[in-house]
Amino acid sequence: MMTTLAQAGFPAAMHQLTLAHYLFISGAMFMLGLIGFLTRRNLIIMFLCTELMFQAAGLALVAFSRFHMNMTGQSFVIFIVTVAAAEAAMALALVVLLFRKRESLDAAEWQEMKG
Amino acid sequence: MDQVINPLALYGACALGAIGVLLALPRRDSKTPQILGAVIASLAGGIVLLAMGLKAGGLFGIGLSPSVYFYVFALVALGASLRVITHPRPVYAALYFVLSILATAGLFLILSAEFMAFALVIVYAGAILITYLFVIMLATQAPTEDLENALTEYDTAAREPVIATAAGFVLLAVLTTLMFRGVGELPKAPAINGQSLLAEMPRKIESALLAAGSLPSGAKVTFDSSGDAKVDFAARTVEIKLADGGTRMVSLPGDLAVTNTEMVGFNLLRDHPGSIEIAGVILLMAMLGAVVLSRKQVQLDEDAKERHAKLLAAEMAQGVETNP
Amino acid sequence: MLTSDSLLTLGAATAAKAPIIAGDPLALLIPAMPILGVIICTLCAIFGVRNKFPAFATVLCLAVAFGVAAKVFLGHTGDVRITTGFEWMSLAWGEEPGQRLIADFSLYLDSLTILWMLFVTGLATLIALYASEYMSHDVGLGYCRFFAAFNLFVFSMACLVMGDNMLLLFLGWEGVGLCSYLLIGYFYKKPSAVAAAKKAFIMNRIGDVGLILGVMLTFIHFGSIEYREIFAACQPYIEMAKAGKFSEIPAIVQLIPILLAVGAFGKSAQLPLYVWLPDAMEGPTPVSALIHAATMVTAGVYLVARTYPLFLLSEYALPIVAWTGALTALLAATIGMAQFDIKRIMAYSTVSQLGYMFAGLGVLTSTGAAFHVVTHAFFKALLFLSCGAIMHGFAGQLDLRKLSGVGFMKGWGIVGLGMAVGCANLAGIPFTAGYFSKDMILAEAFVTPGMAPIGWILLLTAGMTAYYTFRVFFRVVVGPMHYEPGDELHAHDDHAHGDHAHGDHAHADHRHDHAHDHGHDTHARADAHGHGDFHPHAPGWAINTVLATLSVLSIVAAGLYFAKSPYEGGLAKGGAVPGMVERSSAAFETPFSHHAAGEPTASIKEGGHEGADGTTPAHGSLAAPSFVPTAIAKSHGAAAHAGSFFGYDPHKAMYYVSGVVGFVGIFIAFILHYAGRRQAATARADALLPAVGPVAKWAQNKWYVDELYDFLFRYPLWFLSHGFHLFDKLAIDGLVRLFGGIPRFIGGMVRPTQSGELHGYAAGMAAGVAVLLFLVFMLTMR
Repeated sequence: MMTTLAQAGFPAAMHQLTLAHYLFISGAMFMLGLIGFLTRRNLIIMFLCTELMFQAAGLALVAFSRFHMNMTGQSFVIFIVTVAAAEAAMALALVVLLFRKRESLDAAEWQEMKG
Repeated sequence: MDQVINPLALYGACALGAIGVLLALPRRDSKTPQILGAVIASLAGGIVLLAMGLKAGGLFGIGLSPSVYFYVFALVALGASLRVITHPRPVYAALYFVLSILATAGLFLILSAEFMAFALVIVYAGAILITYLFVIMLATQAPTEDLENALTEYDTAAREPVIATAAGFVLLAVLTTLMFRGVGELPKAPAINGQSLLAEMPRKIESALLAAGSLPSGAKVTFDSSGDAKVDFAARTVEIKLADGGTRMVSLPGDLAVTNTEMVGFNLLRDHPGSIEIAGVILLMAMLGAVVLSRKQVQLDEDAKERHAKLLAAEMAQGVETNP
Repeated sequence: MLTSDSLLTLGAATAAKAPIIAGDPLALLIPAMPILGVIICTLCAIFGVRNKFPAFATVLCLAVAFGVAAKVFLGHTGDVRITTGFEWMSLAWGEEPGQRLIADFSLYLDSLTILWMLFVTGLATLIALYASEYMSHDVGLGYCRFFAAFNLFVFSMACLVMGDNMLLLFLGWEGVGLCSYLLIGYFYKKPSAVAAAKKAFIMNRIGDVGLILGVMLTFIHFGSIEYREIFAACQPYIEMAKAGKFSEIPAIVQLIPILLAVGAFGKSAQLPLYVWLPDAMEGPTPVSALIHAATMVTAGVYLVARTYPLFLLSEYALPIVAWTGALTALLAATIGMAQFDIKRIMAYSTVSQLGYMFAGLGVLTSTGAAFHVVTHAFFKALLFLSCGAIMHGFAGQLDLRKLSGVGFMKGWGIVGLGMAVGCANLAGIPFTAGYFSKDMILAEAFVTPGMAPIGWILLLTAGMTAYYTFRVFFRVVVGPMHYEPGDELHAHDDHAHGDHAHGDHAHADHRHDHAHDHGHDTHARADAHGHGDFHPHAPGWAINTVLATLSVLSIVAAGLYFAKSPYEGGLAKGGAVPGMVERSSAAFETPFSHHAAGEPTASIKEGGHEGADGTTPAHGSLAAPSFVPTAIAKSHGAAAHAGSFFGYDPHKAMYYVSGVVGFVGIFIAFILHYAGRRQAATARADALLPAVGPVAKWAQNKWYVDELYDFLFRYPLWFLSHGFHLFDKLAIDGLVRLFGGIPRFIGGMVRPTQSGELHGYAAGMAAGVAVLLFLVFMLTMR
């Protein structure tokens, strides 16, 4: 294995990973997923961004599980993945139906709840 | 908890990142702002990571192995996520998503959660994303000959980018502020020494001892009343029952450890059995739902019919032209 | 100062409750029969009866009631009897006498009551018979409605007159007001009729304030509202009044009669509450005849007569009554002289004659007033019914410039005769009943000290009355034959009478200066004999019968003056009617009645009530007090001398004087309206018009009293109510609408967020979460 960062002489701070590091990544991915959901109009891409948010949450959970030395977090990631899968299946089925109706994946097509 | 990162740097990076993402979002006109935006966003991300790296101290002396892999995986993950949301073509976005999944799996590995990493890759990348790709290809409008490379209108332009970006980055700033300032005295969850589970896996101990050759023939690991092995963790010895009925303490092999898989398994089945059942039900419902939904024959909407007719007319006109 | 022994006294010592003499229980039929009539007519209305059955049922019920009244009269011996009906109200909140309110449905039968009920039920029967034909082209629901209200009216009048307590009187009072409203507004589709009905009711109510206050004060002070108890409790005060100590009588007791008088003025159309009576002519003529001539308007007179003992206790009540009556008489007579609508003329003459009656009460001849009530009832009803017959036959024509010589037309003879008899009575031609009754009042006005000015006013009014009465007679009944149909030529659904004449009155101000005929020509329909194809509809058997009966009765009524009192020991002059009245609570003996002018009244003969017969007030404390209110005497010198008429005994003098005055009036009317008249529309009176132009115009416009009331009351109230309406609409409704508008406004502001766009919602959610978290952290993380 390559030498550790510490062995390589990196400053201690740089090679001491904290919970915060992982949480930041998780937060940034979540935020990117949120922005993507709000910004894109393609229905499938919107759902993809929600999957991204799921993933970020999973990362946070695993980091916390490691922090607390408790396996509960990781078990829950399994459930999260399960639910994400089920939801993706349903969402995609509905998207297909919607597509068949309007021949378009534009989320702005569906505005019948206006007012 | 001390400040991990200078708040000014954090907020500054957030703002910079916001601008960068805003520029990077899909737009109809020229592509240069997007590239510029991507550069800026990565710059912002880099600043944060660097600042974190410089300021972070060894807080959890658990001994996480310092690794450059974290930074690699982190950068890949963020970059792939950015590309997911900014790429105009859906297929590319899905593929970038796969990349981000892989990066996340890498991060899991660093956290010693190898089972989670594998599960993530197999389920997410291998199943869900494939489904997404199928549906994307199913639901894309068939392009006409001269519109092959055209993007649909809804893919090109971002919608309400400013609000979305602003909201997102404010959230990020808030979340990270919380992280870095701490919330005072939060109680920690009770830590479980995962290694203590070793006692509940006598078969594993046996096979390990067998592999290491420490087990005399005919000897078995003794079971106590609840079916566990009797392990002395301090001395790392386990009691075995000899063929002639006597007991002896044998030292455990050095590399015998409870794997993450086993730990997750124990936790799942012991502490959350009900949730497993419910998860199973959810999956069943999803499957049934998918079957039911996909059977419906949906009538085309009026507008869609109109468009379809126009398209056909255009096609026929062209067909007349091209077919003499 | 008068000494008490010179006056006839009553059983003052027996101030305690006297034993009640039970009256004839049959008397309960008198109010009960009209109720039966109401029920029958209502059933007819429910079952849609479309013939004249309700009318004849009414006539029958009322005839039975009259018969019972006659029987009670024949069996009456001049004392007070009380017939107990049923217990109506009995409230007690304490043990003492003043803490019990008892008002039973009982009948107080004394001679005043019986007199009144006789002529009320009698006239009601006759007028119901008349109305059966008059209202005949309304058969169906309207007919039943008319007769139901008619019966209800008679019932209310019976309660009013026969009740033994003031609450029952008040019930009847309101009941007659209600029925007057219902009947005036019978043609409810006509706005003027509805307005007139409202006017009548509201003016009655204004007077009722006085009445109800009077009843309340009576209860507060006397502790009871039953007549016998009130009269019993009055005795000590009467002693005081006899002795001239008016200052010792409590102010409440002196106030009560004034308040009751206000109520009476409202009901009997005296100043200032008289303006409803002419408008009430919008109702059908039988209504005018019964209610507004003979019965309801005399309820006020009855009230004063019934509570006469209370009036005697007050220093100012009787003078107020007298002056109001006299001035009303004068005013109404002047207005009547300038009207063209004969029904209006009769209405004003009713107001005027009611003024006579009140003046009579005020000058202390309650007997004379009551006699005038009776005679007036008969001849005024006769006059109204004749006018009604004319209106019925000429399709609503009542303008005396367009009718002439009706008495000579074929089939109209009885109508003409009825008008003649009625006009003679009203004008006071000697030896008619009206002459005698008016005389009694005129004479007493000169007799009573201090009331001479009233006498002169009444004399002048008598002259005017004769003039306008015979103006009607000479224009309408005699003269060249001419007729024009009225406004109801083709309309048979209502007897709209007012429009045409109203129109004339309204237009008259423009054309009054010119001769009448200009207006006539623009309305001209045809030649002098009326419309081409219109024929007057002569009255049928019912109308003729009633008119003939009333004519005969009016003539015969004169004989009442000479008849003997039905009770023994009558003292007053005037014959049967005064004889009855003097036995009742209204009776009042003035020492001046039997003396020649100038004689001191120090001693009065012992005859009369005491001694002549044993049936004096020993029966109870309910006979009348007899003395003159010293206030009147005091103001005219210490020695109270009977007044005189230029040195002659007024009673004898008035026979001649009023006759002369009457003939003068008739002569003037003859000259102006009969002699030399060739056309219906013109008469010599028109030549005089320029000379009296403005005055005549004001008189014709009723001296603008209605306009004055409008200015004083109606417009301010109108403005006030509109102001409140605006306040209600803007402020209160605005407040309510504000409460509704705020959510609506906010909703309108928020609605654009519901755009149906998924992204908008999601962006909102995300932004909201971000902001919230931001705030939370900013506020908590320090």
